[in-house]
Amino acid sequence: MPAATSAVLAASVPELWDELTSEVAAGRRFADLFATPRPGGLLLTAHLAGPADITTREAMLPLGAVGYPALTPRLGAAFWYEREIHDLFGVIPDGHPRLEPLILTAAGDPGILPSHVAGPGLFTIPHGPVRSGVMESIEYLVETPGEDIPHLNMRVFYKHRGIEKRFESMTTADGLLLAERAEGIASVAHALAYCHALERLAGTEVPWAAALIRAVHAELERLACHLDVIVRLADGAGLAVATARFGWHKEQVLRLVSRLCGSRFGRGVVVPGGVSRHPRIGPGDLLTAIGELDKRIAADLSLLMGTASFLDRLRRTGPLRPERAREHGALGPVGRASGCTDDARQARPYDAYGSLAVRTASRPDGDAMARLEVRVTEIAQSFHLLRQAADELAEASESQLLAACDPANGRGLGWAEAPQGEVLYDVQVTGGLIGRCRTRSASFHNLVLMHEVFAGDILTDFPFIEASFGLSIAGVSS
Amino acid sequence: MWALRGLRNGVLTTRWPARPDDYASATRGPATVLAPLTDESVSLDGLCPTGAISREGGAPLRLDQGRCIQCGRCVAARPDVFGWTSGPGSAVLARPALVVPPIPETTERLAAIRDDLRTRTRALRRSVHLRHVDAGSDGTEEWEILALLNPVYDIHRLGIFLTASPRHADVLLVTGAGARGMTEPLRQTYEAMPHPKVVIAVGTDAVGGGLVSPSYATAGGVGDTVSVDVWLPGSPPSPFSILHALLLALGRVPAQAGDQR
Amino acid sequence: MTAYSAVLAAGLALLAVAAVADLMVGARRPRLLPMPYLAGAAASACLSVAGAAALAGRPVALRVTGLLGSGTVGPAADRLSGLFLVIAFGAAFAVSLALASWAAGPARPGRRGLGASYALALGAVAVVLTARDAFTLLFAWESLTLAFYLLSGYERARAGRPAAALVTLAFGRISGVSLLAGLLLLAGRSGSLTLAALAHAGPGTLRSAAEVLLLLGFTVKVGLVPFQVWLPRGYAAAAGPTRAIMAGVAVNVGFYGLWRTLALLGPPPGAVTGILLVLASLTAVLGIAHAAVQTSLQRVIAYSSVENSGLILAGFGVALVGAATRDRGLLAAGLLAATLQVVAHTAAKSLLFTSSARMEAADGTDSLDGLRGSVRLRPWSGTGLAVGSLTLAGLPPTAGFVSEWFLLEALMQQFRVPGLGDRLVLAITGAAVALTAGFAGVTFVRLIGMVVLGKPGSGGGAAPRDYGLAGRAGIVLLCAACLVIAALTPLEIRVIAAGLSPILPSSATLGALKSPWVLQPVFADFSILSPSWLWLVMPALFLVVGLVAWAASGSRLLRVRRVPPWRSATAGVSGPASYTAFGFANPTRRVLAGVLHTRAGVRRIDGRRPGWESAGSDAQPAADPQSPASRPDEVVAEAVHVGYSSDVIEVVEEYVYRPVLRPFLLLVRLAQRLQSGRLDAYLAYMLIALVALLAVVTALH
Repeated sequence: MPAATSAVLAASVPELWDELTSEVAAGRRFADLFATPRPGGLLLTAHLAGPADITTREAMLPLGAVGYPALTPRLGAAFWYEREIHDLFGVIPDGHPRLEPLILTAAGDPGILPSHVAGPGLFTIPHGPVRSGVMESIEYLVETPGEDIPHLNMRVFYKHRGIEKRFESMTTADGLLLAERAEGIASVAHALAYCHALERLAGTEVPWAAALIRAVHAELERLACHLDVIVRLADGAGLAVATARFGWHKEQVLRLVSRLCGSRFGRGVVVPGGVSRHPRIGPGDLLTAIGELDKRIAADLSLLMGTASFLDRLRRTGPLRPERAREHGALGPVGRASGCTDDARQARPYDAYGSLAVRTASRPDGDAMARLEVRVTEIAQSFHLLRQAADELAEASESQLLAACDPANGRGLGWAEAPQGEVLYDVQVTGGLIGRCRTRSASFHNLVLMHEVFAGDILTDFPFIEASFGLSIAGVSS
Repeated sequence: MWALRGLRNGVLTTRWPARPDDYASATRGPATVLAPLTDESVSLDGLCPTGAISREGGAPLRLDQGRCIQCGRCVAARPDVFGWTSGPGSAVLARPALVVPPIPETTERLAAIRDDLRTRTRALRRSVHLRHVDAGSDGTEEWEILALLNPVYDIHRLGIFLTASPRHADVLLVTGAGARGMTEPLRQTYEAMPHPKVVIAVGTDAVGGGLVSPSYATAGGVGDTVSVDVWLPGSPPSPFSILHALLLALGRVPAQAGDQR
Repeated sequence: MTAYSAVLAAGLALLAVAAVADLMVGARRPRLLPMPYLAGAAASACLSVAGAAALAGRPVALRVTGLLGSGTVGPAADRLSGLFLVIAFGAAFAVSLALASWAAGPARPGRRGLGASYALALGAVAVVLTARDAFTLLFAWESLTLAFYLLSGYERARAGRPAAALVTLAFGRISGVSLLAGLLLLAGRSGSLTLAALAHAGPGTLRSAAEVLLLLGFTVKVGLVPFQVWLPRGYAAAAGPTRAIMAGVAVNVGFYGLWRTLALLGPPPGAVTGILLVLASLTAVLGIAHAAVQTSLQRVIAYSSVENSGLILAGFGVALVGAATRDRGLLAAGLLAATLQVVAHTAAKSLLFTSSARMEAADGTDSLDGLRGSVRLRPWSGTGLAVGSLTLAGLPPTAGFVSEWFLLEALMQQFRVPGLGDRLVLAITGAAVALTAGFAGVTFVRLIGMVVLGKPGSGGGAAPRDYGLAGRAGIVLLCAACLVIAALTPLEIRVIAAGLSPILPSSATLGALKSPWVLQPVFADFSILSPSWLWLVMPALFLVVGLVAWAASGSRLLRVRRVPPWRSATAGVSGPASYTAFGFANPTRRVLAGVLHTRAGVRRIDGRRPGWESAGSDAQPAADPQSPASRPDEVVAEAVHVGYSSDVIEVVEEYVYRPVLRPFLLLVRLAQRLQSGRLDAYLAYMLIALVALLAVVTALH
């Protein structure tokens, strides 16, 4: 495990921006930007992801400063991050092109969003915040002349729960519970990232068996999320049998997880230093279950990827141009479907992934079809990894599952590859209690790209585009 | 092609509640107090992250299931005192009934509440439409509600359907800790539903705020925004638990599920 | 002079009085403004009575020989004329009442001339319908063209009106020239100017050519493709309810002309019938396609005229096929369907244009989006608009439903036709008419939903109010016509049978009456319809369902709790949050993109990146010329404003007229050189013309 995080402090905020833009121009990916209140002012921290690790750069905004020069005009990927800082801390980025409330509205009245498209007969269809199916609350304002979608607006502040503030003054054990509930469908990944942050801080090495069990749960979670995306796509296309069968497969995956650990979402498994207990079924039974699932899912997937009427709905729908994805640093299957090749399991391996063979699935087209193909490849790969991990578990001689990890003070940075993309946790511990815990989920980073993928699509393509992104709004508005 | 594929694995649907289901019986519910304890041997420090476990004066140890996020810490620390409930029957008709061991007064009130609910939902017995509102959940309760539509649970066989508009809905499922941004939309949805309507608070977040409350952005559950008829704890509650809560709301719970709840 | 001839004369005289009154008084005394229109209403009543008398077989004729020159005879009405007199002037009576009310309202004509043009139009219509000889017909026809020019150019201060008036005049002249050529050819052949004598012109290419020219002239008047381009412009440019005079009353002269040509000369050569059917189906489809996507209320109604012309001509085409194959049943079916559609169209179009005359938003436009919820502010106009729309959409139990049923049934008889070519053309026309009926539903649903229903927008304070007493009476009469005629269709068919007797014996047409209240498409054992029973059964069913619902709900049916409409609990959007009239038509724009040549595009407005990126199906998204380094305007797309637009083009204008326009204007410029303004040049032209004429005459002898 690499050494604990060391942050490079820049002299001033503009200097920090200079460093960031030059690093991004040199090829690193902008990963996070957030603020922490300190006695001396507001500390702005930025994370940059590179081929082998993630570096931290900071600058202090002096006490009493009302604003600072915005980063967004120079680095577009910081667009939502600066709005979040403005909402939570009140400082104004001068020169930010659009400073409306993103995750928090003042005085509970969100106001009316001005329209963006001018033309005859245009009107705005609000989708949400109470959506027409069982979906998380977000408002999509589609400005349309009737069929086409020239512009899409999103308002994500409805579900804001104040998770980051809630972390403060919690014990590290309670913090793990909250991290699991920040983005519930990626519980294991968030728990992993949080634990990696603490383990890095304490310099703990996770035992091999625990690392394998962690990998098993992470891959099962990835399977469940990708199958959920496929269920939503098939449901949007009206393929009743496909929806039913993939719903059944996802249910079997969740039941397998609950057989392993008692919780259908893998909660309570990952703890700092390792895992909490042995899986309730042995590696042999696990292998059998995985083999059965793999066979069934592969058969249905091959039929699905041959259903022309379904694929027609996805081809050239919601294309994300590769240049945009690279500029923005799109994460997860969304980025990998547009040509990015970054996968945290392969580029910055953690737990058992260094020894398991991880291959990054990537496509150049960037449309909904490419995102589905990337997920299909990742499903096959997850089964491969699961089998490897189960085999290794059967052979793992040691039965130690937990190493000591109880840091009292310090700061650690942890990451994990959730099914939606890379999750970052920056945890600062003081006296055994959490001082500041920054959770950056992949959904928050990727959702802003939904503005740009409507090129000639019509209203009926909207569910496909939304489903193919596969993001969780809980992670966006946390 | 797909039509034949659909026949490949036979009937997958569970027969619950008409017949018992193994997975349903093995479903893990919220934690519970195994034996009523009045002594002071249990230290409450750091035992429950949400403060569900309490002890007042000489009263026995009480556990509020409406605040239990199923973290398992109490069960792991004192397996003799605390344990898991199993089975899907954790939904109740009144908030105080979620405190275990139950107080006798609440059991009497529960019978009156159940009769009132039964009268109200008389017309909905055989065919009912659900509407769901997410008031700040973490995403898992939505998965569990959607799981009711897959062929394993298949609520359509019980005459329960999901609808897109609150105008057509009879039952409102609310998840999430009551995010302040969703207070007004939730209230509007409730107003938009025609009478008679039933509200089910799904999940510990909705019942008592869960781990994310207290927070500046949440209201500690949805009980203050809408009048809740059925309280379902669980983080998240399993699909069988949600189904049990629905049947409880409609007065269709089979007798062996227990009369107290 | 018999009594009814006196009535005819009285009607014409009243129209002259109305014209004179308007020219003399003008707009000086507002109290006297409705007078010309009231006189016109009285005249219409007289003319309808005269027409009814002619239908009944009474002699109605003005024996004034040689009034307009030697060889001309006075107007007289036979049964066919009588039928069209009743149809046209029945509607004109109601429209005149509305005009009187309109002229008394705030939108009154600002200067004299409108009443005179109106009287001229009605007079010209009356004379055309009762003309007995070619010269009177042509004289009245040209007067009608002049009246149309004056009516559509009345408000010449408003944008686009002068151009519309000129186009109307141009096409009116084209139809006049065509009629002139045809009638003169026939007159030369038969040696007399009277229409009855023209029928005896000997067969041959000259007679066929003349018939084609006559058909051409009459179809230009009603708006057959490619001559339909003047209809939307001309109709929409006229002022107030005079549009109803143009589109509802005067257009019947075209149909009358076609019926009369069939009566006098029989069917044209075979290929012409086929071409007419194909063009009719094109007209119907093109008309409704454009009607479905217009943003202006008057244009929607005007394009619907084009569509109905197509439908009527399709029925007429069936009749021509029947005449050519000597199948009396097919002839009867076609003519009956076409005439029923003429009746329904006259009533509905007059009603629509009358109702829409008061439909102007506070800012003076008649854009559909600005007219939402008009029925609250103007209940009478709104109801008239609704009834007219239902009729033209062909929904039961209106008269439009009956006529469309007859038309489709007539087209379905194509299997009885011996020739494969005819059968194919009839089948294609039937498909096109069915398509048209479907899109007519879409068009008029949009009209009713967006204009009549819906919440009124803001700014209704300054909008014009509804009609006064006379106008309401007019609208009620027209609504009654649309609805009651459907219930009394067997009576209507008897009247039409009497009117069509110059073409075919009424027994053939009466074959459509299977039993006193049940109709069939002339051929037995094919299909039946009873609109009269429909008028009894439909309300009864509604009543029964309502009673059952009330009883089953235990009288809770009437307990209503009002809540705001469900908008997915949004916090609010700027601008309209539900479908606008433009948006409602957008799927039609896309589906019919082949017919409408829709072009849609998105472009950035703030000037940073000029140019278009077409988001339509016929173009690729523009390649990004910017560098791949982070461009903030890419990410911050929300801050840059975007413009969207979607256009349809008229294919006939674009591909038939526009290429011809440039050489034509070149020719005009060349001809203008002759107009040098110098007196000696003009004298030279006269000398040259005289010398040339002498040379030709000498050579011929």
